[in-house]
Amino acid sequence: MLERPGPTGGPARTGGIGLFILRRILQGLLVLVLVSIVVFAATQALPGDPARAILGRGATPASLAALREQLHLNQPVVQQYLTWATGLLHGDAGRSFAAQEPVSKLLGDRIVNTAFLLICSGLISIPLSILIGSYAALWRDRPFDVVTSLVTLVFAALPEFVVGVALVVLFATTVFHFLPAITLIPPGGRPWEQPIAIILPTLTLVLAVTPYVVRIMRASMVEVLESDYVEMARLKGLPERLVLRRHALPNALGPTFQVIAINLAYLAGGVIVVEYIFNYAGIGGALRDAVSNRDLPVVQAIAMIIAGLYVVLNLLADIATILVTPRLRTRL
Amino acid sequence: MADTPIERLGDLTATTLTRRRLLINAGVIAGGVMLAGPLAACGTTSTSTGGSPKRGGNFRLGVTGGGSGDIIDGQKIVTKPDQARLVAGFETLLEYDTNYKLQTTGLAESVTQDAPDKWTIKLKSGITFHNGKTLGADDVIYSLQRISDPKQGLFGTAGLASVDPNNITKVDDRTVRLNLKQADSTIGDQLGQYYNGIVPVGYTRAGEQIGTGAYKVQSFTKGQQSVHVRNTNYWRSGLPYFDTVTVIDFPDVAAQVNALLSGQIDAMTDIPAAQISVVRGHSNLAILEGQGADWRPLCMAIDMPPFDDNNVRQAFRLMVDRNAMLQQVFSGHGRIANDLYSPFDPAFDSSLPQRHQDIAQAKSLLHKAGKDNLVVDLHTTDGAAGMVDSANIFASQAKAAGVTVNVHNDPNYYGDLYLKLAFSVDFWGTRNFLPQVANGSIPTAPYNECHWPPKDSNYLSLYQQALAEPNAGKRADLIHQMQKLEYDQGGYIIPMFNNLVDAYSTKVGGLNNGSKATLNLDSFGHGYRSIYFTA
Repeated sequence: MLERPGPTGGPARTGGIGLFILRRILQGLLVLVLVSIVVFAATQALPGDPARAILGRGATPASLAALREQLHLNQPVVQQYLTWATGLLHGDAGRSFAAQEPVSKLLGDRIVNTAFLLICSGLISIPLSILIGSYAALWRDRPFDVVTSLVTLVFAALPEFVVGVALVVLFATTVFHFLPAITLIPPGGRPWEQPIAIILPTLTLVLAVTPYVVRIMRASMVEVLESDYVEMARLKGLPERLVLRRHALPNALGPTFQVIAINLAYLAGGVIVVEYIFNYAGIGGALRDAVSNRDLPVVQAIAMIIAGLYVVLNLLADIATILVTPRLRTRL
Repeated sequence: MADTPIERLGDLTATTLTRRRLLINAGVIAGGVMLAGPLAACGTTSTSTGGSPKRGGNFRLGVTGGGSGDIIDGQKIVTKPDQARLVAGFETLLEYDTNYKLQTTGLAESVTQDAPDKWTIKLKSGITFHNGKTLGADDVIYSLQRISDPKQGLFGTAGLASVDPNNITKVDDRTVRLNLKQADSTIGDQLGQYYNGIVPVGYTRAGEQIGTGAYKVQSFTKGQQSVHVRNTNYWRSGLPYFDTVTVIDFPDVAAQVNALLSGQIDAMTDIPAAQISVVRGHSNLAILEGQGADWRPLCMAIDMPPFDDNNVRQAFRLMVDRNAMLQQVFSGHGRIANDLYSPFDPAFDSSLPQRHQDIAQAKSLLHKAGKDNLVVDLHTTDGAAGMVDSANIFASQAKAAGVTVNVHNDPNYYGDLYLKLAFSVDFWGTRNFLPQVANGSIPTAPYNECHWPPKDSNYLSLYQQALAEPNAGKRADLIHQMQKLEYDQGGYIIPMFNNLVDAYSTKVGGLNNGSKATLNLDSFGHGYRSIYFTA
């Protein structure tokens, strides 16, 4: 491709993609530090005595003292935060109050399980929604587009738990009986060892994400297809396939990647509901359990994991957008 | 047991559910002084299910609740799945049958009260632990000392408070003598509580899980599942039937029902009333209903206005339409009650007339008390199924008598306000009379919501006499007097007892329907030893 001029006429490079990524990583780290302060403030540093809040009316002086010691509550707040944050940096998220074991041991397998569910959902929903969205735009106002538009609107309006329960009724318990209703992962086992058991949770998440991405992809593709450069490409006689692949798709993907990133990050929250429906042993279940047990170290750790996921996904989306969009790529 | 119970509860975290778990599983007391002799399987009102037993198989049980707080301990539970795990591996000296009678079907050949403050325990011979070690007197002494140690935070500590841990003596290899700090006729009943399991000398929760039960732990992941394998040296010959028992946690009851419907589990605890018809619609599934004696009282503090006037208390008791409330709160799965607890106690006085709704009488009592058009606050919380519903239904029923009841559903109910309210809803599990009194109806009780008894009553002295009375008949007389006092002047409105309703696949046999069990699924098929897959 030819070197395009920047807005001022000359090349507008500011250091290339490498520097851009580095900058974004640093920004992401800054965001994580800010999030960690918020998480800490919202859980441990609230006014009042967290130890008393955790132990409730049955608190004895001895158990209060022990818990304050464990939470480092006798230190100044800044010191407490630094102790906690330093621990996190070393991969030590503390000990779970309820389970009386390290948070990392409690969450290790669950993180793998949840990650697998998210990856499966992402790998299916991303290509699927790009494909459907593109064709809907291409066949604008034709039956495929109309039906897609209707179906995506319906699924976008349905919350995950409705979709999940409906799938269970349809495929597992009432109408048909060929899929397991819940996902039983034996301790030490892995979800990929029994793929049939993760079909329904994955499908639920796919149905939760795909409609949004399809609609964005369609809108963005429609806009691109009407643009001057696509018209130009067509006029100069490029085959339609080449026009779509080389000129339309990359430019339409840019905004879509942003939506995909936000949706995948949203999944990290939506997965809590889905794990609940399917009794799936992931971090969603652990978070719900930790909140009801007031198990602060676990709540803090999961909040940080989800925040980290947001940052990473947004970073990836930005990079992918830059890479697929020639106009942005060349301005770096 | 003066001041320890509340402190002890502190170890169990602050959730109200924890309190429920404790209360649901508390003590009982029985009639007999001498408990000896062969298995008395007669006299049960329940019916056993299923066809002829087949050996083998993996019994998969879904239990409601559970989480990272799960534990396995022969003498303690935190969550409901813990109950299902405890009874697989550990057994008690005495056992309750399906008719709620204490029997010597457990590890003890006999448990005898030699004197008001002396008990003798004689063990059966030939019982071994999972590791092959023979059960002996030292293990019983160790187990009872562990229960008596307040630092362990075990459920049985309060019930065995009269036991002097330093004065338990070994008579011979199979005989133990308890010398009590004070007379206590309820020791035998405490020894039948499922959470007073017998553990070997040196047992710790963190160590190996060794008991005498039908299954030993193979694996356990908190908040998920545990697998228990058959104890091949089990002392009851020919038992158990399953190769393995898998206990699975279900925080969500809808997922639990779905797992049963799709055949991923063989049985589940606590099916919601709305799902019962769904299960009945499947020919390969069935409902098991146990006659529980859990109760959710409306508690009137007898020393706080307006309830310091007994006319008001009696009027409130007459405002309740018990049948309607049972239908609305538990879809009819239970029995109406008569404002008295512990219906399974052999000493329960069933001759007192059943109270029914009588609005005219209630109005006249309120008028007599000068409390026409009364307005009261009723505090409740979502601490156990039915607590909020009971409060709302009571409020609507009270309107007929001209009483305005403002219901406050307070998530922090068990915080500072608890036990200081004039009118509140609470919940209790199944236990017999004297242990219940110790927990809820005397000044030293940890949860005396009604601030019972009145200062001028002889209730306390009757209680002390009953506790020291070894003769079951004489004790029953004393208990009847206490129940009469509560019936006439008490602060509890007890509208009903709810049943334990579970569901199971019909390929599981040996479950007793209608049993008076304090644990779900016929006390988990008596530690999974009496249930099997049918051939």
